[in-house]
Amino acid sequence: MTEAGRDKLVLAVPSKGRLMEDTRAAFEKGGLSLARTGSERGYRGEIKELADVEVAFVSASEIADLLRKGEVHLGVTGEDLVRELMPDAELDVTFLKRLGFGHANVVVAVPDFWIDVSTMSDLEEAAVLYRRHHGTRMRVATKYRTLTRMHFGGHRYGEATRSVDTVTMYRIVESLGATEGAPAAGLAELIVDITSTGTTLKANGLRVLDDGVILKSQANLVASRHAPWSDLTDKLRDTVLEALGGPDPASA
Amino acid sequence: MSPQSQKDAGLVRSSRWIEALGRQDTIVSSIFARAGFEPVQPAVIQPAALFLDLLGEDLRARTYVFSDPDGRELCLRPDLTIPTAQHYLDQNEGCGEPQRYAYNGVVFRYQREDDNLARPREFRQSGIEHFAPPSPPKAEAEILALTVESIRAAGLRACNVRIGDIGIFDALLEGVDMPARWREQLRHHLRHPAAFRRQLQKLMKPEEFGRALADPLFRAIEAARRGTIRHGDGVAALEKHLEDQGLAIAGTRTLDEIALQLEGLAADLRSPPLDPRSALLLDAYVKLATPAKDTVSNIQALLKGTDINIDPALEQFEDRLKLTSQEGVDISEAPFSGGFGRQFEYYTGFVFEILSGALAEDTPVAGGGRYDKLVETINSGVSIAAVGAAIHADRLLLAVRGGRP
Repeated sequence: MTEAGRDKLVLAVPSKGRLMEDTRAAFEKGGLSLARTGSERGYRGEIKELADVEVAFVSASEIADLLRKGEVHLGVTGEDLVRELMPDAELDVTFLKRLGFGHANVVVAVPDFWIDVSTMSDLEEAAVLYRRHHGTRMRVATKYRTLTRMHFGGHRYGEATRSVDTVTMYRIVESLGATEGAPAAGLAELIVDITSTGTTLKANGLRVLDDGVILKSQANLVASRHAPWSDLTDKLRDTVLEALGGPDPASA
Repeated sequence: MSPQSQKDAGLVRSSRWIEALGRQDTIVSSIFARAGFEPVQPAVIQPAALFLDLLGEDLRARTYVFSDPDGRELCLRPDLTIPTAQHYLDQNEGCGEPQRYAYNGVVFRYQREDDNLARPREFRQSGIEHFAPPSPPKAEAEILALTVESIRAAGLRACNVRIGDIGIFDALLEGVDMPARWREQLRHHLRHPAAFRRQLQKLMKPEEFGRALADPLFRAIEAARRGTIRHGDGVAALEKHLEDQGLAIAGTRTLDEIALQLEGLAADLRSPPLDPRSALLLDAYVKLATPAKDTVSNIQALLKGTDINIDPALEQFEDRLKLTSQEGVDISEAPFSGGFGRQFEYYTGFVFEILSGALAEDTPVAGGGRYDKLVETINSGVSIAAVGAAIHADRLLLAVRGGRP
């Protein structure tokens, strides 16, 4: 994506929808104007105030992939998408700044009528019994394979030690859309999906487990560890970060 | 996976390595054949479902799964025991005839690091499986001895065997007074030491983990458990409760299962707590580490002052030691540990691993044991004893060469 021979910083931002508008507004607030160059539908752009920055307008999930490959220096994308693509995200990227929009929680949700299941530990017990009765593992419908495996395996974001509440007696079935409908349709027994208000879950007769919030995600400014960094791009990164309000407090 | 590691060390094997591996395979296979194990060759590409439902997501995450143009979900085999067990079922239609198979072939497992020579993502496995053996302890001894013999014949003189026996744990669990449901929970948590300990703690104070269930429902479920009303009435009470709460029933999980769980919870709250001495005993057993020859006396010491009798399991352990030495392998000094074997979901009794000083402890050159539940799980219902072992051929060659390729 970078043109050979020219040192500049490549920034990937969401190409459409609410996420794009919020990103544009956040940059604007910091005195940086994101603009497309060439045709209005093109995917290339610039920051008017910073000549050595090239902007790429791409889909949010593609941004995570570009960061992983080091094809862009910086990206604005959801933490959920980054962590789903990179199980050890800190080896590949640095989360520079939480941007305060694009909030979405990745959660484990079960049918509300499972009144015997309110924790991951209950879920494992129910899953063991399910296997005995049905001869198959409970199915979890999700787009978030990595996050599901990690959480079910006892990993908890923001906690230093692993939880002993692991769930093992399950299998993942890939869901390409309308995940929340999978249990009612008989395609899965429970789901892992994003929710922002919880109303969709409720409408589908689903309930989040007490310890079923896998990740409280929001849009982040993310730096790739594999991009070709230089003095110039280091400086531009700091400029962009300052415009967005400076780094997150370390402990938060 | 970082772009650096995508540059792929280890994609090409030297011809010297391949030739050496071939020679080693010949040595090992001929030992298996001489012992009467019939060679089988499962396909490299297998239906994914066969593995996924058996092995769960941990192994799923390390299996190369793909779809073919007909939309079938397939995988590169991550293991050879399961297709061999499937072959046994296909050939015998579950009639339980004794059968011995040997295999030798490549298996595939994702590894995050590409440059760890002891963990290549494709490697050869040489293994033997004995289904429905007439004498399982004899089969266990034979399979361990054959594995050790093969490893020695391949040139690894110094190797260490470590053993465990989940059968002893099961016998102990049966001997301790507690509801059957708690036994199942402890058996299930055995694989996770921290979860196991916490479960013991919990069972000593079940009332603290009680939950406020809706009153009429709780009473109905509780009555169902005590047998004052039938289980079916408990289910009816549950159904009424759900209706009152406006909770819709959907999906494959049944009210029957939920009622059973609730009955279990109700039972937990009313059961006398687990005797702390019993909890201590189970914990001490899981932590037990001793040479094989002292295992029985150590366990008897743990049991002193209790009325728990697990003599049959202990006798079986002693018999196995004797039988193994009759097969020409002395494991009396092999380290036994009470917790060993718990990490492998399918083993149900005797388990062993063979280690080389040239390789790290978490990369054994071979492993095996008794797995009575596998065939039953593949083909729901038919319970068939099975004993098997697999040699990680690439690791074995690496160990023979002192850890260098």
